[in-house]
Amino acid sequence: MDIFLQQLANGLTIGSMFALVALGYTMVYGVMKLINFAHGDMVAASAFVGLTIYTQIMGQAASLAAVIVIFLLTAAVMACIGIILERVAYRPLREAPRLSAVVSALGASLVIQNGIMLIWGPRMKIFPELVPQVYWDFGGVVISLIQVIILALSLFLMVSLYLFVEKTRMGAAIRASSIDQDAARLMGINVNSIIMIIFIIGSSLGAVGGLFIGLYYRGITFNMGWQYGLYAFIAAIIGGIGNIPGAMLGGMLLGLFNAFIAGYISSTWADAFTFILLILILIVRPTGLLGERVAEKV
Amino acid sequence: MKNLKRFGFPIFFVVMAILPFLLDPRWQAVAITFLVFTVVALSQDIILGKSGMFNMGQALFFGMGAYITAILNSQYGWPMLATIPVAILVPALFGILLAGPIVHLRGDYLLVVTIGFNIVFVQVVQNNLGGVTGGPNGIFGLDPMNLFGMQLASQVSVYYFAFAVLLLTLGIMRNLEKSKAGRALHYLREDQLAAESIGINTRSYKIFAFGLGAGIAGLAGTVFATQYAAVSPEAFEFIQSVLFFSIVLVGGSSIPGILLGVFVMFVLPEIFREFATWRFFIFGFAMILAMILRPRGIWPATFGKIPKFLIKESNHGA
Repeated sequence: MDIFLQQLANGLTIGSMFALVALGYTMVYGVMKLINFAHGDMVAASAFVGLTIYTQIMGQAASLAAVIVIFLLTAAVMACIGIILERVAYRPLREAPRLSAVVSALGASLVIQNGIMLIWGPRMKIFPELVPQVYWDFGGVVISLIQVIILALSLFLMVSLYLFVEKTRMGAAIRASSIDQDAARLMGINVNSIIMIIFIIGSSLGAVGGLFIGLYYRGITFNMGWQYGLYAFIAAIIGGIGNIPGAMLGGMLLGLFNAFIAGYISSTWADAFTFILLILILIVRPTGLLGERVAEKV
Repeated sequence: MKNLKRFGFPIFFVVMAILPFLLDPRWQAVAITFLVFTVVALSQDIILGKSGMFNMGQALFFGMGAYITAILNSQYGWPMLATIPVAILVPALFGILLAGPIVHLRGDYLLVVTIGFNIVFVQVVQNNLGGVTGGPNGIFGLDPMNLFGMQLASQVSVYYFAFAVLLLTLGIMRNLEKSKAGRALHYLREDQLAAESIGINTRSYKIFAFGLGAGIAGLAGTVFATQYAAVSPEAFEFIQSVLFFSIVLVGGSSIPGILLGVFVMFVLPEIFREFATWRFFIFGFAMILAMILRPRGIWPATFGKIPKFLIKESNHGA
């Protein structure tokens, strides 16, 4: 029972990081029908940007205010990079064959990943300990302060995003664009600016996810983006790609699944089990758990 | 294009046939790598370019062929040559079995599932399943190829083995294009619904393409294992699949385009070794730029002998 509760806590922590990153994938996919392969590397980059902001700008201060500034600044930097990414690599290919945009996304991913390597070096960097090491022991189940912060802040961001998309005019425009871009344009929605907003939101959420990865795992490497990105993308598919609550659900489920695999079976097989789960879900429900059945556009 | 077929290919074959005598051993090794990776890229083209299925796990079949050769040779003492049929058939069957439940998936899902297969494969060989894959170090010390009592141990002979495999692959692709199956694949890539409505069994042709592409990649794996007398997991990582995927699409799914792509991806880095750390950074930009300037690839493939004015611009694989 202890293992179960402990892995439940760990799984929810990992799951909320997956969910934050998955949101970036699912929102872009929803509107552009494109797997933004560069998103995982953006997440990795944000951990490095946060590290540099901490050492260069904040003078290694670790007060609460400093942490908030680091989060906001990193999110702002990544949002700018997200806009540039969309402008340079995706906008010129909006009318091109689908696979051309996929190759462009892969190229962008290589550029960002190797850009990190060229700037910060190929070795693992240690992320600063911005949150004090506080642990609570509930009869064998250890929960750390950082886990509580990750879970709480992620939930707060996800609920805010959900309300934004469901309750505001802008959110309605995002939903309309993801259903049918041309129809949305005819209704007077500026799809270009919607796509820009999606990249801003997705990149900033990814930035928070990347900083969480740094805070939680401490070691950050230039090529970690593929791993987290792939898991987050799988989470988005499990939940039903293009579906925002689906990405949250999928992220949490995948985090729990991974934690239980690591706790009960072996973490060396985690990837294999994850993909088997994905394939099974796709065979049973080809559109993911919350995805609606949509006919592929002809 | 006509001139290319008339002069370009014969010149290419002649140059490739005498190439090993013009190169020192290091460049011979690079040339073999070029041949092997070209075969893998062509096999990827059958699945991705010719049939329009988003497969991003071609290194799996390549690696499977290499590992089968290595395991049969090192564990069971099979001669290298005898492993070839198994190294073709098992990946082909595996491709058919894997493709069966997934070919109907939407393009992007297919892409992620094939990535998954690739990652699971690497994890299986790394974790030394069954104790035969040698774990993270792989398997080394394989025998040289033995053909009618002749030992093909020298690099030049491995080169000609690889060249023969490339010629075989090019022959298969040429026949495929002119065959019923090739036309069916072309139609279903252009428009699956239309293909179905004129009576093409798209599902079985898709599975056929997967099996064929997987078998050819498996054969390339045997050549790879022969060249290095060793196999190890990192040669078949999923990043390799990404490279093959990109080569086919940037090249435009045509034979000259793919040759160019393999050359740029795998031979140029050997020439510009001092820029090794910049390699993927530059490739990334090149991929973006190539797609923006030529969305259908640098050297787009043409099909059959349809006059140009009859071809409507369509979104391939959309």
